[in-house]
Amino acid sequence: MANALELELKHLIIDTLELEDVTPEDIGRDEPLFVEGLGLDSIDALELGLALQKTYGIKLEADSEESRRHFANLKSLAALVEERRVD
Amino acid sequence: MNDAPLILEDWRAWYPGRTPARDPRLSVEERPAASRVAPMLRRRLNNSGRAVCDMLAELDPAAECVLLHASRHGDSERTLEMLYALNEDIPLSPARFGMAVHNAMIGVHSIASGNRRSLQAIAASGAEVSALFSEALGYLMEGEKQVVAVFSDAPVPPRFADHTQGPSNATAVAMRLGMSAAVSGGQSLTAHSADEATCHGYRPLQPDDVIAWLLGETPLVCPIRRRVWKMAS
Repeated sequence: MANALELELKHLIIDTLELEDVTPEDIGRDEPLFVEGLGLDSIDALELGLALQKTYGIKLEADSEESRRHFANLKSLAALVEERRVD
Repeated sequence: MNDAPLILEDWRAWYPGRTPARDPRLSVEERPAASRVAPMLRRRLNNSGRAVCDMLAELDPAAECVLLHASRHGDSERTLEMLYALNEDIPLSPARFGMAVHNAMIGVHSIASGNRRSLQAIAASGAEVSALFSEALGYLMEGEKQVVAVFSDAPVPPRFADHTQGPSNATAVAMRLGMSAAVSGGQSLTAHSADEATCHGYRPLQPDDVIAWLLGETPLVCPIRRRVWKMAS
C-alpha cells in the first residue's frame, strides 16, 4: 500500500507542479524534494500544500518546522498522508 | 514635432502558424522551445513566455540590455480566472498567482539569463507600441547603448472576449533598439503625427500589427496616440 500511495504522490507532484520531463521513476523515495534532489522551490511547497489540502484534506501550517519535516522526501510525505488523510 | 530617431538594430517575432513565414526572424512554432531556460523555470511559462525568452536570448545573448515588456492584457487567463476562483472560495494556486503579475515573464527570463538590468513592465490600454518607443528613447537618451522592447499579448478568456478588443492569437515581437546609425543592418525609425483620416480604420496596435509592419506588409499606425512610425535603411 505504501508503494501505491507513493506512486500516487509522485503523480500528484508531477501533475500539480507541471514538472516537464520528470517521470515517477525520477523521484526517489529518500531523495530530497526541495532545493537539492528534485529541486523544488518555495512556490512549489505552497502549491504542494494546497494540493494535499484539496486531495487529502490535510492542512499544514506554512513555513513550520513540522511542514519542512513532512516535505523532506517522498517517504515522509507518504507517512504524513497515511497518518492525516481525511478521505 | 517628431521624436529623435531610434535605430531598429534587429528583431524577432513569434506568430504560431502564420503564413507565409519566409523571414528567419519570425518563428511560427506552436510551442517555442525556450531551450536556454532551465526546465524547472521553463515549466511555469506559457507559450508566449517561452517565445519571449527565446527572442530575448537571441537579441541580447550577453543578457546586458535594459528590457521593456509591454502587454495590454498580460496573462489575462490566469488573472481573471483567479478572480472567479476567489469569488467561489476556491484556494488560489500560488504558482499561478506568481505568474499572473505583469512582469512575471521577463522576471523568469531575468532569473534564467542572469540579466540584472532594469526590467520594466508596461500596460498602456492599446497604446503599448507608443509607450515602448517612448520608454526606449528615454533610456537611450540617458546613456543606454541598447534597449530591448518586447510586446506580447494573448486572447482574453472567452467569457470576457465581448468586453475588450483583444487579439485573436497569442503573438509576440521583440525589437533591439539603439541610437547609433553605425550598427550594421540597422534601420532608422521616426515617429510622426497622424491626422484623423490617417488613423481611420486602424485598431489599437497589437503584436501581430507590429509583425506585419516589420515584414513590410502594412504601415504602423497608433490611432490612440495618433502616431505613425516610418522605417528607413
